[in-house]
Amino acid sequence: MRYLWWLVRCQPWRVLRGSLIGTAWMIGLSVRPYLIARAVDDGLRGRDTQALALWVAAIVVAGVGLSYLGIMRHRTMTFLREDAKARSAEVLLRHLSRIGAVLPRRVGAGEVSTIGGSDIDWTAQVLTLTGPGVGAVVAYGVIAVVLWSISPMLAFCVLVGVPVVGLIVGPLLRRLEQVESVYRRQQGALTARSGDIVAGLRVLAGVGGRDLFARRYAARSQELRAEGYRVGAVNSWIDAATVAIPGLFLAAVVWLTARMAVTGDVTIGELVAVYGYVATLIVPVWFLLEGSYQLIRGRVAARRITDLLNVTPDDVGGPGRRWPGAVPEARRPDELAAPDGPADLHDPVTGLTVRAGQLTAVAADDPAAAVALADRLGRYVASDVTWGDVPLREVALDEVRARILVADHDSYLFAGTLRDILRAGADDDERIDAALRTASAQDVVDALPSGLDTPIDARARTLSGGQRQRLRLARALSSEPEVLILVDPTSAVDAHTEARIAERLRAARAGRTTVVIATSPLLLGRADLVTLLSAGRITATGSHADLLDDDPAYRHLVARGSEEAYR
Amino acid sequence: MSRLPVADRGTVRRALRDMISRHRRAVGVVLALHSAAAVAGLAPPWLLGTIVDRVTAGAGVATVDRLALAIAGCVLVSALLSRYAQYAGHRFGERAVAELREEFVSRTLGLPVSVVERAGSGDLATRSSVDVSTVGTTVRDVVPTIVIAGVQLTLLFGAVFLLHPLLGLAALAGLPSIVAVTRWYLRRASSAYLTEGAAAAELTETLTTTAEGARTVEALRLADDRIRHGTTRVTAVWRARRATLALRTVFFSVVEASYPLPVAMVLLVGGYLLSRDMVSLGAVVAAALYLQQAIDPLDRLLQWTEQAQRGFASYARLLGVGMVPPEAPGTTASSRGERLVVSGARFSYSDGPDVLHGIDLEVQPGERLAVVGPSGAGKSTLARLLAGIDAPRHGVVSIGGCPVTDLDPAERRRRIALVTQEHHVFIGSVRDNLSFAAPDASDEQMRAALLTVGADWFAELPDDLDTQLGDGARQLGAAEAQQVALARLVLADPHTLILDEATAALDPSTARRTERALAAVLVGRTVIAIAHRLNTAHDADRVAVLADGRITEIGSHDELVAAGGAYAALWRSWHTRVDER
Repeated sequence: MRYLWWLVRCQPWRVLRGSLIGTAWMIGLSVRPYLIARAVDDGLRGRDTQALALWVAAIVVAGVGLSYLGIMRHRTMTFLREDAKARSAEVLLRHLSRIGAVLPRRVGAGEVSTIGGSDIDWTAQVLTLTGPGVGAVVAYGVIAVVLWSISPMLAFCVLVGVPVVGLIVGPLLRRLEQVESVYRRQQGALTARSGDIVAGLRVLAGVGGRDLFARRYAARSQELRAEGYRVGAVNSWIDAATVAIPGLFLAAVVWLTARMAVTGDVTIGELVAVYGYVATLIVPVWFLLEGSYQLIRGRVAARRITDLLNVTPDDVGGPGRRWPGAVPEARRPDELAAPDGPADLHDPVTGLTVRAGQLTAVAADDPAAAVALADRLGRYVASDVTWGDVPLREVALDEVRARILVADHDSYLFAGTLRDILRAGADDDERIDAALRTASAQDVVDALPSGLDTPIDARARTLSGGQRQRLRLARALSSEPEVLILVDPTSAVDAHTEARIAERLRAARAGRTTVVIATSPLLLGRADLVTLLSAGRITATGSHADLLDDDPAYRHLVARGSEEAYR
Repeated sequence: MSRLPVADRGTVRRALRDMISRHRRAVGVVLALHSAAAVAGLAPPWLLGTIVDRVTAGAGVATVDRLALAIAGCVLVSALLSRYAQYAGHRFGERAVAELREEFVSRTLGLPVSVVERAGSGDLATRSSVDVSTVGTTVRDVVPTIVIAGVQLTLLFGAVFLLHPLLGLAALAGLPSIVAVTRWYLRRASSAYLTEGAAAAELTETLTTTAEGARTVEALRLADDRIRHGTTRVTAVWRARRATLALRTVFFSVVEASYPLPVAMVLLVGGYLLSRDMVSLGAVVAAALYLQQAIDPLDRLLQWTEQAQRGFASYARLLGVGMVPPEAPGTTASSRGERLVVSGARFSYSDGPDVLHGIDLEVQPGERLAVVGPSGAGKSTLARLLAGIDAPRHGVVSIGGCPVTDLDPAERRRRIALVTQEHHVFIGSVRDNLSFAAPDASDEQMRAALLTVGADWFAELPDDLDTQLGDGARQLGAAEAQQVALARLVLADPHTLILDEATAALDPSTARRTERALAAVLVGRTVIAIAHRLNTAHDADRVAVLADGRITEIGSHDELVAAGGAYAALWRSWHTRVDER
C-alpha cells in the first residue's frame, strides 16, 4: 500500500487533473438523457420548433463536450498509468542490476517475468481509480439529487437497486473470469506444445516421429475443444444472467415510473429521463465495483514488487557491500586494504595456491568441487581464502570484483549487438579484436551478416555451443582483469581450435595471474603449473608432463582411458 | 533468408468462405438465434414508446401493468435466446479453431527442414504461438462480439426505418464521419499496437534476463550497463504507448462526438413529421431511444474491428505455411544394401559459395567413421547431405545404390538417423520423449536405452518414465537432454547413424563412457561420428579429416599418425608426452 501511495505522490498534479476530468465526464454522461427528455417534453410534446431546435443543438454540443472530456480523461489516465509503470520498471531494473549473484537462487526467472509482465500493470491500474473513482462517487450523488427532485420514492429504488444489481452481477462476472482462466491456461499449454514441435522440428527430421506428434497434438486439441464446450455452456448462462438481471430491474423501474405517470406524479419526459438515468447510473456503479476488485489485485501485485525489492545480497563475508560508484575511493574503517599489486591466492579448503603472474591449471575429478573452488576464489561465498596476506573476505567487495574475474562456463550472454556483448569487458575495439583473436572467435564474427554490429538475442541461442563458449571467453579476456579464473573455457570447442586457444591464451595472459579449470590435455599442457584436485584436495602439483608420468590418477583423468597411447 | 509465404487476401477470403460453408448449418443457427434475441431486445424501448403514447392518451394503470410485464417478458426471452445463440456460436468457434490449429500443426510437421531453416525457425515459432492464439481469440471472442453487435445494429436501424423511413434516413447522420475515421484508424492501428506489444515484451525480457544473468552482472560489473539498457527500453515503451494513444485520441474523439448526431437528427426530423402528424410522439421517442441504445453495440463493433483485422492478418500467415510444398514423398520405397557412397558432392547454401568442394567417400556397412576438422570445414554440412536433409548441388549421395533424397522421407529416417548437438526435449513425459523414435518399444527397453547412454539421473526421477519434462516441469540440463537424444537413437536402431557432435554437451569423462557404451550397443551398425574430441577418432575404424570443404586425409588412426600429416600433428599436441619421447 505504501508503494502504491508512493506512485501516487510522484505525480500529484496528474492525479488531481484526472479526478477533476473524470468527475466532469461522469456527470456529463447523465446530461444527454436530461436533454433528450427536455427535447421530448418542451419541443415535441409542446410542438415548439424553436425549443426543439434549441435542445437538439444542446444535445450536439454536449456530445462534442463529452467526447472531449472522455478523451482527456482517457489521456490523463493513460499517462498516469504509464508513468507508474515506467517508475516501477526502473526501480525494479535498478534493484535487479545491483543485487548480484544471489538473485537466481532467491527468485525464479518466471517470477520476475510475471512481475515485469503483469504485476507492474496491475499496480499501475490501481492509480486510474483516482480519476473515475472520485468521478463515480460524485456522479452517483448528482444523479441521486436529480432523481430526488423527480420523486424521492423512485430515487430510493434506483439508488439502492443499481448497486444491488451490481453486487449480484459482479461476482458472476468474476466467476466467468475464473472459468475462462482455466481454459486459457490449457490453451497456453497447447500453444506451448505447437511451439515445442516447431523448436524440435529438426530432431523429428533426424529421428522421425512426425505422425505421432501430429496425432498427439490433435488429441490435445480435441481435449481443449471439449473443455471449450464446457466453458461455453457455463459462460453463456452467466452472460445471459448479466444481461437479464439489469434488464429486469430496468423493467421494474419503468413499471413504477409509468404508474406514477398515469397518476400524474411525473411527466412523460421525466419517464423517459428516468429510463436514461438508470442506464447511465450503471457506469459509475460499475466503476466502483470494478475499482474495488482492481484495488485488491493491485495490492497483491504491489506486494510482490516490494518483496522483490526487499531481496538483499548474499553475505559473502566482510563488511557489507557498497553499490558500485556510490562513494568513490571511500574505504570503510573496518575494511582491510587489498594487496597493492598482484599477489598469491591461497584456498585453505583444497590447499591450492595460485601464484601471482602465472598460469595455473586445475584438473578436477569432480566438476562440482571445481565450481565451488572458483566460487571461493572469486568470493561468491564467504571463505578463508587469502589474497597476499589479507583475508579475501575482509577486502572491499568492489575491489575484489574489479580485480578478480571468475568466468563461468555458463555465464550469461545478454541480448544486444555482438559489440555490446563484448563491450561488457572493454569499450575499445582494439582490445575486443585482440580478445577475439585469443579466443579464436574471429570466425564467429565473420560469419555474422553485419559482423560486430549483428544483433544477438539473449543467451545467443542462434549460435552453436562452441561459438557461445568462445564469445564468453573473449568477453572475459577483453576486460583484462588482474586475476582471471576460467571454468571449462573450451569444453565445447573442437580440438584444432582448442589447441589454438591454449597457445594464444598463454601468450595473451603472459605475466598475469590466470587459473584454468579444465581436464583437456591441450590446455593443461600449456600451464606453468598443473594441480590435481581429487576428492576435494590438491593431491598433486607439477608440470603436465611430470604428472602424466608420475600420477596414475592424473593420467586416468586427463587421458580418459586412452592410456594405451602412452605405453 | 527466404521468409515463409503469407497468403494473399483472396486466398484468405476463400478459406473463410470454405470454413463457413463447411459449418453452414451451425452458422445459420447462430445467426438466426442472435437475430431473434436482438428482436426481443428491441421490444423494451418500443414498449416504452407505447406506454408514452397510451399514457398521453390517458390510459389507466392496468395498461401500464400489462406493458411493463411485457417488457420483463421480452428481457427474459431475449436473454434465453442469446444464451443459446452464444452457446451455439461458441461451439462453432471452438470447432473451427481446433480444425485450424490442427491443420496448421500437421502442415508444419510436413514442412521440409531445409525450408524451415532458410526461413529461420523464429518466423515459424511466431506463427505457431502468436498467430495461432490471435486467430483463436478472434474466432472465439472477437467474431461473436462483432456478429452480435452487427445483428443488433442492423435491427436497431431497421426498426427506426420501420417507424418511419425518414426517421431511418435521419438516423444515418453520424455514419460518414465514423466510417471515415475508422478507416483512417485501421490503416495505422495494427502496426502501432504490434510495436507497442513488442516494446513491452522487450522490457519484460530485459528485466527477466537481468535477473537470470545476475551473477554475470555482478562478475563483469554490468549494473550500470543493464540500467542504461533497461532505461532505453522503458523509453521505447513510453514512446510506443504515446503513439497508440495519439491514434486513439483522434479516433475516439471523432467517434464519440458523432454518437449524438443520429439522436439529434431524429428529434429534428421527428419534430417536423410530428407537426404534420405523420408519426406519433411515441414513435419518435422510441426512435431516439433505439439510437441511444445503438451506441453500445456500435462502440463494441468499433473497438473490436482492429482486433479482427489483426486476426485476419494472422490467419493469412497461418495459411501461408500451407502454401509451402510439403516434403517430397520420394520416388523409391526401398533400396538394396546399406553401403553409403558420396561421389563428387558439392554443396552451397542458397546462392553462397560452395561449402563442400567435391567430396568422395565410401562407408561400408558396419564401419565406424570419424570425421574431424576445424570449425567451418563443412563437417555438419556433410552430415546433412548424408542424412538426406539437403541434396548436393552437384554429385550424388546414395545408400545401397539409391540417392538418399529419392527415398521416402519416413523410410529414410528409419534407416538413417541424424543426431546433432541440438538437443531438444519435448514437453511431455520421459516416455513421450522416447517413444516417437520407436513406437513399439516397451518400458523395459526404454529404461535399458537410458542406462546404455549413461543417464544415471533417470533413477532419481519421481515418476519413472511418466515424469513430466520441459516447461514448468522438470528441466533437463544440456547433458541430460543429449542423453535423451542418444537413448532415442538406441531405441530407433537404424542401420546408419550420423552423430554430429552428439556428445559435445557431456562432460569429457561421461562423453567417453557414453560413446563406448553406445559403440557396444550399436555394433554392426554404420556409424559416422563428427567429433571434436580426438579420442572419438582414436576409437573409430577410419578417420576422415575435413578441411575447407575437402577431405584432406583419410585412413585408420594409426595410418594417419604414421603419415605425419595435420592429423598426426594434432594428435601429438594432444599428447605432449609423445612429443617428448
